[in-house]
Amino acid sequence: MKKSVLFFVFVVFAMVLASCNGAAPAGGEPEVCASDEFGCAKIPAGQTVKIGMGAPLTGDYASFGVDISQGAAVAVKDAGTVEGFAFELVAQDTQGAPEGGAAVANKLATDPTVVAIAGHIFSGSTEAAIPVYDKAGIPMMSPSATNPPLTTLGSKVFNRVAFTDAVQGKFAADYLYSKLGFRKIAVLHDGGAYGQGLADVVRDEFTKLGGEVVGYEAVTPGETDYTATLSALAASSPEAVYFGGYVAEGVVLTNNMKQSGLENAVFFGCDGTFGTEFVEKTGANGEGAYAASLIPPESAEKAKFDADYLAAYGVGAGTLSPYTWSGYDSAAVLMAKVKEVAVLGSDGTLYVPRGALVAAVRGTQGFSSITGDITCDAVGECNTAGPTFYIVKGGDWAQAEQ
Amino acid sequence: MEALRKKFSLTLPQNSIRIIRIIAALLLLALIIVRAMDVAAKSQFGADTWLRLSVSGLIIGGMYALIAIGYTLVYGILFMINFAHGEVMMIGTFGGYFVFEAFNAIQVSGADGSQLSFLNAYPVIAILLAFLAGMTIAALSGLFLEKIAYRPLRGAPRLVPLISAIGASIFLQNAGQLLFGPQRRQYINPVVLDRGIGWNLEVAGSTVVLTYTGIFSLILSAILMVGLYLLVQRTKLGRAMRAVAQDKKTAALMGINVDQIISRTFVISGALAGAAGVMWGIHNGLFNYFVGFLPGIKAFTAAVLGGIGNIPGAMLGGMFLGIVESVGPAVLGIDFQLKDVLAFTILILVLIFRPSGILGEALTEEKV
Amino acid sequence: MNKQSIQKSAASGLVFGIIVIFFALIGFTVVFSGLIQKALGQSLGVGQIPSISSFLIFLGLLGIWNGWRASRQDKHETLSVKKVLGRSAIAGLVAGVLVMVYALIVGALNNSGINLRTYLSQLSSESVRFFLFNQTIVVGGLIHVFYSTLMAVIGGFLAVASERSRERVKSTRESIQKWSQDRWLGKLQGNPYVSYVLMGVVLLLLVLLPRTWGAYWNYVMGTVGIYVLLGLGLNIIVGLSGQLVLGYVAFFAIGAYTFALTTSPEPHNLVWNFWIALGVAVLAAALSGILIGLPIMRLRGDYLAIVTLGFGEIIRILLRSDILKDFTMGPRGVRNIAGPTLFGRSFTTDVDFMYLIILAVLLSIFLARRWQESSIGRAWLAISQDETVAQATGVDTQKYKLLALSLGAAFAGLGGALFASRNQFTGPEDHALMVSINVLVLVIVGGMGSIPGVVLGAFALKGLPEILRELESYRLLVFGALLVVMMIIRPEGLWPARRPKLEVPVEQDHEPVPLPATAGGEK
Repeated sequence: MKKSVLFFVFVVFAMVLASCNGAAPAGGEPEVCASDEFGCAKIPAGQTVKIGMGAPLTGDYASFGVDISQGAAVAVKDAGTVEGFAFELVAQDTQGAPEGGAAVANKLATDPTVVAIAGHIFSGSTEAAIPVYDKAGIPMMSPSATNPPLTTLGSKVFNRVAFTDAVQGKFAADYLYSKLGFRKIAVLHDGGAYGQGLADVVRDEFTKLGGEVVGYEAVTPGETDYTATLSALAASSPEAVYFGGYVAEGVVLTNNMKQSGLENAVFFGCDGTFGTEFVEKTGANGEGAYAASLIPPESAEKAKFDADYLAAYGVGAGTLSPYTWSGYDSAAVLMAKVKEVAVLGSDGTLYVPRGALVAAVRGTQGFSSITGDITCDAVGECNTAGPTFYIVKGGDWAQAEQ
Repeated sequence: MEALRKKFSLTLPQNSIRIIRIIAALLLLALIIVRAMDVAAKSQFGADTWLRLSVSGLIIGGMYALIAIGYTLVYGILFMINFAHGEVMMIGTFGGYFVFEAFNAIQVSGADGSQLSFLNAYPVIAILLAFLAGMTIAALSGLFLEKIAYRPLRGAPRLVPLISAIGASIFLQNAGQLLFGPQRRQYINPVVLDRGIGWNLEVAGSTVVLTYTGIFSLILSAILMVGLYLLVQRTKLGRAMRAVAQDKKTAALMGINVDQIISRTFVISGALAGAAGVMWGIHNGLFNYFVGFLPGIKAFTAAVLGGIGNIPGAMLGGMFLGIVESVGPAVLGIDFQLKDVLAFTILILVLIFRPSGILGEALTEEKV
Repeated sequence: MNKQSIQKSAASGLVFGIIVIFFALIGFTVVFSGLIQKALGQSLGVGQIPSISSFLIFLGLLGIWNGWRASRQDKHETLSVKKVLGRSAIAGLVAGVLVMVYALIVGALNNSGINLRTYLSQLSSESVRFFLFNQTIVVGGLIHVFYSTLMAVIGGFLAVASERSRERVKSTRESIQKWSQDRWLGKLQGNPYVSYVLMGVVLLLLVLLPRTWGAYWNYVMGTVGIYVLLGLGLNIIVGLSGQLVLGYVAFFAIGAYTFALTTSPEPHNLVWNFWIALGVAVLAAALSGILIGLPIMRLRGDYLAIVTLGFGEIIRILLRSDILKDFTMGPRGVRNIAGPTLFGRSFTTDVDFMYLIILAVLLSIFLARRWQESSIGRAWLAISQDETVAQATGVDTQKYKLLALSLGAAFAGLGGALFASRNQFTGPEDHALMVSINVLVLVIVGGMGSIPGVVLGAFALKGLPEILRELESYRLLVFGALLVVMMIIRPEGLWPARRPKLEVPVEQDHEPVPLPATAGGEK
């Protein structure tokens, strides 16, 4: 007993002493980096310039992580080299959870050859990661973290090519009310931060426009039968069902609508339900369903990417998740900016000034890629155009009347 | 020891607690009824909605029941929770899927000379083979699971096989993801069993669809349950299983090969889970490597609700859980998001008032 | 060679053949060859197929193991070259032929232009060709047979060699042991100051390591520390008082959310002091332990397990539900949670937090040990051994079970509060069922009822997956397999409790069937 108390006191004392000391001074830096706020990432000759990514590679949402990282990997292949150094994508598993996001962020931030982060994928994991990258001065470009407050946290490093839920929800409510002329809708979400955020915005905006939201429910993600929830909604006979969530649940809902008494209601999804998987798996049931997306209709870049992706992974782009194109873009922007700021040292080492890279990414103007024009504003919203609405016609997505 | 327990349980405090419990139960029941009447008075839902909700509950309940039987059979014999049982179901789902895919690819000429896929030309054979394949492969995985992960642990403390089962569950899930990819796949049904279509009933001015797939699943699970009941009650194997469940030592002395009976129990429970998996695919369509997890947890809940180790209990528990999940929130007028809260609350309430489940026998000290 | 020996060799070959095929199907052959190549110091680009030589090393290791296993069929026999040659050759041949059949089928399908990845996601055309050593299918298949047999025979010879040298190794080891016992180890073991020195070393490590190993390891070890807290708590409930609780995450969530809601500006704007909020969180968790425990104390075994599992799920669903959204922020979670402050100075760097967690862990270990060795601990022991007898001998079982539950819950509350504070964020997804399962697994892997076991278990459970990160998407697969293997070879845990066995375990009554001599599981 006495021994352990003594031990305890020792530890406390030593820790207080230890934590009072300042951090060790940094070693000598080459002059190109001396003026930089965060110093330089040094990549010795023969190594690769690493683009990090925190993505759910296992667990419930593995298909998102796998797909987006594959999209980014295509971008890495396309990017070529910077001063003779090849790029490499380091995708680490977050399991989609905030805890995993922080662990991955700490891991990637410790690796001196990681210069930028194409991610993270989900808002929760991103939010946990931002402070870590903020401290290390590593710029982020998220393909799919859409929670609005992420850009209001005052982070210098966080940017996204995805548009926020607030923007999308407002557009969607407006489209439902003004364009399609609906007055009675039901709003559904998947109980996640993303889906609920969207659903809330749509409900509030739609009510503000003068429409009536006759039902507001949530489904449990991962289940494959939502007839009960839908039947309850059907009792108030809405004209349309707005759903905030992801493809899997969107498909099940669309397929279940007919047998739940909602055969006359229109299914209106979001950018989470867009993609070829929705059309493939809903078949005739999906005809006439809407979704939003930041992908403009066909373009040469998109066609090339789709072909490359199919060749590399054996599945079509957009089959696993709707965000693979954003994954390509966020990695592409980051690598283009790395090329701009990287300096080859006389010792054959590549120096990437971190602070300059952070500023360069935030200052992206008119970068043209698959998702269209990428221009970052002062807080890091790089897609300010808003969504394009699509409708399923004849078994494929077609641009809806704007 | 038994005498001691009786003596203690007859003392006054225990009795008064019992009375309090009964009063509390009655109060609770009254509360639920009042709330339900209140909701019914508002008549938010018509008869058509109620019918839809009950049908959906029955269908899902049938599948829960089949999986729950697997938990209960294994528990009855080994007193262990086979945590990887949901993954066995997942394997069955994949088995059926590949049969359908294969038959869909084979072209045959139909009666009128037109080209048809084998799947649509001979749907009965295709469905039979899909179930056979799903049940066989799930049964085999159950068998190997027992051999590799559980048999070496016979006689270890009770929690050790549970951890082994958790490990096996993680392994199988990830093996499924790596083998077949993370994407969701969809069952291609024969045209006669297309999802979403069925008999149309006119109820209260609205059409209620009784889907063919749903009715098919419900009937098939009923048949399988009756078959299992007969197997356990009427056959030699069933008698041996019951003997082993009651007392392994005596059963071994009576000339029963206990190891073999345990293996066969795993085969049977695996086959039932496989059948549930194929039904799941046929009725719901979408699945991936994660498909077994949620039904696994739910079915485990159902098995405990009915009284774990008791086969009719598992059937009742599964059906009850299915109904509560789909009808319950509507009856009480709460969000459907809270259906699992409702299900677990009912489980807790049932166990507080009946600590060994609805149909469970009183726990003997050794089985705890 | 008798028939049985041939059968056993063939069985070993069969198992190894299946393992190789399974590895090929899940793409592990490519990934592991890549790791070997990187370990040999050769670079490997992204998406590049590793070199054939690294694949040969990978296959060779498996083949040698196959031959080794097949040769050593009986512990008591002495191996001769002749015996071994036959056995290992059979095992290698069987495995090789099996792999060849697989290679022929897959190779032929691949050559005919079928995209195998539609169904088996890892079988890209390149990986199939890689599996055939970039040869035609017949040549590749034959190489597999030949190579597998060759390596198995080498493995067999190694087995003979190791057996012959075993005697020598044994005698050398014994002499070294004797020497060290005489010279210094024996003296050290008797010396009371040794434990002080050891403690000093541990202390030094605890103080110095967080400052040197960087933010990532501080994060990982911080998580390990929090899981040690959780493990200590659950150890009291499951290990000491013998109640199986599967919903431990409920208390973790209550601790984390109590702390979060009282210190975050949103949604309630309470912004309490860190230490007050920490205390409140611990108290709230302990109280919830009593409240949850009261009605369900009558339940035992698996019924208690499922009821507590239900509680865990209920809490998680309620936290993310729409009806409590204004109170708990719904699925979005609570952000901007306070970090620790002391005398006006805030401690929020990774090093500070690591120290805080280390202190909390030391304090908890100290408390847990005191309880365990007091009369409370003995009452718990009595309850976990046999509740009815404990009651009959005058132990107030209800009281002590409730006490165990609330003390265990208090630890979880502390862990949850620290967790929320360190991440400055907590959401419903942090409190999923897997947390309960992980904690239970770590308690049992470490050794039930043993405090050092809990620490080791936490390292194994939260540290190992981080170490396995190199394996990328294979890490959970490997982790699951390790869990099963671990339970089979060491069911009592890594560091079993040293409590005296007071009675024969109840289970033995039920297990009349002796373990079969060759259990199938050892494959």
